[in-house]
Amino acid sequence: MKPFRRKGADVVARLDPAEAGILGLLLDQLEQLLAAEEDDVGDDPVLARLFPDGHRGDPRLAADYRELTESSLRSGKADDLATVRATLPTDGGEVRLDPDQAGAWLRTTNDLRLALGTRLEITEDTEPPDDITDEADHQLAVYYWLTALQGSLVDALVAGRAGRT
Amino acid sequence: MAGPLAPQRTPDITVDEEYDLDRPWVTVVWNDPVNLMNYVTFVLQELFGYDDATATKLMLQVHHEGKAIVSSGPKERMEHDTSRLHAYGLWASYQRD
Repeated sequence: MKPFRRKGADVVARLDPAEAGILGLLLDQLEQLLAAEEDDVGDDPVLARLFPDGHRGDPRLAADYRELTESSLRSGKADDLATVRATLPTDGGEVRLDPDQAGAWLRTTNDLRLALGTRLEITEDTEPPDDITDEADHQLAVYYWLTALQGSLVDALVAGRAGRT
Repeated sequence: MAGPLAPQRTPDITVDEEYDLDRPWVTVVWNDPVNLMNYVTFVLQELFGYDDATATKLMLQVHHEGKAIVSSGPKERMEHDTSRLHAYGLWASYQRD
């Protein structure tokens, strides 16, 4: 991977074929999660993290909030995911994003990290794996790869904002 | 504030927090182990127009103290702010101050 950097109004990165493949698979999984029934949110820790309670401590206010916001939150995530899919080179290569597309990548890579991080029970003390010996190590390595990708995207966007002012 | 026409409240009545108009609502961002520090700062600037110093201070407060109030105002606006933060995956909720 060549991390994101600024190029004019765009941000540009380069993904290896294997990296593009993994990202495509993660998008498939996220898409399935987002298509899950609304009733399932309470039962699945990942869905609960992607669609958190709006109010803590008052179930009635939390239910009101969910009714008010969840469908637009879902459709926003689905739109972002579609944008990432449309701009991801499936066999690897350059990723070039305008500001709107970059916003979609930012939110979707964050959702992927939230989903993986919740499943892997990441804490602030979790470290990248030294060796990859099992599936859990592999998933942790993917999590840290996404962290590097998203971190570089944030830095590139911050650099662009500094340039605007 | 109770004016002369306000009904007298007996002490054992539980006031529904939704209708207690004297206290403002706030939006709180909670610490979580996944969201990156530079991402949280970026989102607070993007959504609320905070300058870098203010957004960084709030992010550090979330990180070190576990939470920070990022906006305050009417309930409907705090619901809206919470949903905008949820769209970016920040762990946010709204409540009475």
